[in-house]
Amino acid sequence: MGIQIDRLGYLLLCSLGLVIGAGAQPAEPPSMERQATVHAGNASRLMQDRLFSEAGAEFEQALAADPANDAVRFQYATCLFAQGRNAEAREQFESLKPRLGESPGLEYYLGRLDLLASDFPAAVRRLRSLESSPDLPQSAFYLGLAYLGSGSLAEGIRCLEKAAARSPHDAQVHYRLARAYSEAGRAADADKEYREYRQSRADLRTTETDVRACNEALHGRAIAEAKAICGRIGDPNDPERLVMLGQLYGDAGEFAEAVEPLRMAAKLDPNSFEAWHNLGLSLFRLNRFEEARAPLERAAALNPGFFDTLNLLAATLYVLRDDAAALPVLERAHALRPDDAQVAAALEQLRAAAKQKR
Amino acid sequence: MASRGVRPQPRGKPSGIPFNARFTDVAAEAGLRAPVIYGPPDRMDYIVESMGCGIAFFDYDNDGWLDVFVLSGTRRDGPVAGASNRLYKNNRDGTFTDVTRQAGLTRQAWAFGVTIGDYNNDGFEDIFITEWGQNVLYRNNGDGTFTDVTKEAGLASPGARWGTGCTWVDYDRDGRLDLFVSHYLVFDFQSIPPTGRDPDCNFKGIPVNCGPRGLKPERCSLYRNNGDGTFTDTTEKAGIALPGRGFGLTAVAADLQGSGWQDIYVACDSTPSLLFHNQQNGTFVERGLELGLAVNEDGNEQAGMGLAVGDFNTDGALDILKTHFAEDTAALYRNVGAAGFEDVTTVAGLAAETRYVSWGAGIQDFDNDGLPDIFWVTGSVFPEVEKLHPSFPHKTPRVLFRNLGGSRFEELFDAAGPAMAEVHASRGVAFGDFDNDGDIDILIMNINEPPSLLRNDVSGNNHWLKVRLIGVKSNRSAIGATVIATYGGRKQAQAVLAQSSYLSVNDRRLHFGLGAAKLADLEVHWPNGLRESIGTVAADRLVTIREGQGIARSEAMEPAARRGH
Repeated sequence: MGIQIDRLGYLLLCSLGLVIGAGAQPAEPPSMERQATVHAGNASRLMQDRLFSEAGAEFEQALAADPANDAVRFQYATCLFAQGRNAEAREQFESLKPRLGESPGLEYYLGRLDLLASDFPAAVRRLRSLESSPDLPQSAFYLGLAYLGSGSLAEGIRCLEKAAARSPHDAQVHYRLARAYSEAGRAADADKEYREYRQSRADLRTTETDVRACNEALHGRAIAEAKAICGRIGDPNDPERLVMLGQLYGDAGEFAEAVEPLRMAAKLDPNSFEAWHNLGLSLFRLNRFEEARAPLERAAALNPGFFDTLNLLAATLYVLRDDAAALPVLERAHALRPDDAQVAAALEQLRAAAKQKR
Repeated sequence: MASRGVRPQPRGKPSGIPFNARFTDVAAEAGLRAPVIYGPPDRMDYIVESMGCGIAFFDYDNDGWLDVFVLSGTRRDGPVAGASNRLYKNNRDGTFTDVTRQAGLTRQAWAFGVTIGDYNNDGFEDIFITEWGQNVLYRNNGDGTFTDVTKEAGLASPGARWGTGCTWVDYDRDGRLDLFVSHYLVFDFQSIPPTGRDPDCNFKGIPVNCGPRGLKPERCSLYRNNGDGTFTDTTEKAGIALPGRGFGLTAVAADLQGSGWQDIYVACDSTPSLLFHNQQNGTFVERGLELGLAVNEDGNEQAGMGLAVGDFNTDGALDILKTHFAEDTAALYRNVGAAGFEDVTTVAGLAAETRYVSWGAGIQDFDNDGLPDIFWVTGSVFPEVEKLHPSFPHKTPRVLFRNLGGSRFEELFDAAGPAMAEVHASRGVAFGDFDNDGDIDILIMNINEPPSLLRNDVSGNNHWLKVRLIGVKSNRSAIGATVIATYGGRKQAQAVLAQSSYLSVNDRRLHFGLGAAKLADLEVHWPNGLRESIGTVAADRLVTIREGQGIARSEAMEPAARRGH
């Protein structure tokens, strides 16, 4: 999804340049704080592309410039975690505890590290309080595994049942639950979960096939015909599939078709950054700037370090002639990428315009 | 084969405990010098050229010394002079003599798997080979020669198929060895594009050979032994025919659930692995998922290549190890009884190693400390990748995890001798004691190189016991039997297998390291269902047990007098 966003977002960079009509200008040498922002922005982008090792190096530079930045340190720790550098990840998470206390995010990752280290009682202690956290929906699953590891089969099953209810399409959850039922001698329940597992895997394979077919149709057939094929992807109750469909339409330049599935996805999952960003992007491309504003503001709030969203939002606000709102957004974008000549030039123009107004 | 991008888990602190096994590659001085031809020397343009083949330790002339059988491939552009499957006779002095021609075993084809067993119960071990093309059954004539009896036995297939895994198995407990064959996929050089033709066939952006994903899997086959030298295809009737279910590779047959009946487990590449559960009425039902052996603990299918069966936690039940592609872990499955098997890879410490494409494997006690260790060989299938990605070399080292007890393992790098770090594109592995000195040696197939023969020289004072079984009502090779040895507070199960590792065959004599124990109690579960308690036996000996008659012979082994010593 990150790749899709980047590609679409890149188009918007050009749009922004065209809208503001800027030329290239040299960037001023960044301060330490700015350097940290730049490296953290780069790291976030690399994380989205799953280039964890490269992202780790950017985070390290960000922290060298701004060692007290807890948000960046937390992201760095998650990056280490993603690389399987568990001891280093733990060290970074632990270093944040004096300042952040027992924050849910910290406890979640430390609990997962305990789980990986087979320290099941510690994992249970940490994850227990997060079991019902809406912000960490996978906590119930990992708590279930921690219970199973510590020999508490009944508790493990209870948590996995909760995880399965929360993530009905997650094959992994169904498989673990089926295995737990088998261990408990609950053959009928196990069979049901194995069926759910098989169905989830089959759905995944079907989705892969459908996405390929949709993509081919969007690039080789009339839109009406393509819509009939792509419609198979858009499960009205599954925000991830709706986002996927919207991105496929957007990637093919069919922004009008993208709007509805993305709108539905955002309604079903209001915390989906991808849904809001792509919705805003599609509306922008349709020149429906008024409508694009709110989704982009929501996306920027959900992921304030994502350059493309900020850039797009700034362009939207500029077109809507709300320069006062556009300026701070563009400044944030510029802070993330000070070497981006078009953004720098646009920023200069906005600043100059603001000065004139004053 | 497919990478899942799994990152390794951290290694724990080294235990510092000395490891008393030391391996040296003695293949050249032992006379195993002929390279195993398998496709072009520097490319693998088609998947058939990349898969390599099995290797076997077996005693074809019943002289008490392990001989070596090495399969061979060929090349697309025509036969290679001198290349052949090879039989090497053990000279009992640490060396071997190539007797392929005299034995009537000269053959060059795309060979993949081998299974060894006495299918006609005449006291001599016969050979079955899978190939892309036509499988072959060689009957051992008992005079040092073999005869190709494939057609007479009814095992010739009407067209070319890609046979891979194969194992003798007495699935109906009639005392005769039946035959199970797994197949990989439907292949021919004309319809499948070579490296570079199909942009979808790439690894890390580099064009590589195509498959198995995107190609058509082929079903397994089961042949019932009629007792008159012929076989009947019972695939459909026995419930083995599951079209399109998996890219089958190594097959093992053993009593995996302690039912007294043989189940069959097939490592499948890039698809869920298959467990054919024996329903004790001549039919099977596939229950891999329900018994925890189809996928890994996260419910993901893996690129199953090799299989090892052993009892790593010495609880008296057979566990399983399966090897996979690079950027993925092996899978260690602990036998948990009625619920089947539990994936304990991460907890056991094996998830620390994900760097290599992994193949033939064994759960074997190399240092005789009473705790079975884990070994596997590695080697890439995409030689072109290392030029742009040096972190994916074509030739890679061996992997050894020593058993620390408590179901934990640690990976050893230098502690087991120089042979561990030597790099090859390896595939099949056989485990056995070729020099009869009371430890487990390792025989390895390397693509387009001679085999490796890792002689194990164990130091220290640990004891061991070897058990050879002779079936009477059961098949004479005792394939499918399980022996449970109780020693020093441990209880270890081992099975007599006709194939494991990667398409390979191990020493039929079961080897138990006993640690400090000088005695062991033995119990044998024969393939026909008889459970025979043998009682206490002394260590450091080979005991031969005849079904229903207890110990037929107990002998101290005379190690090979090494040539030049």
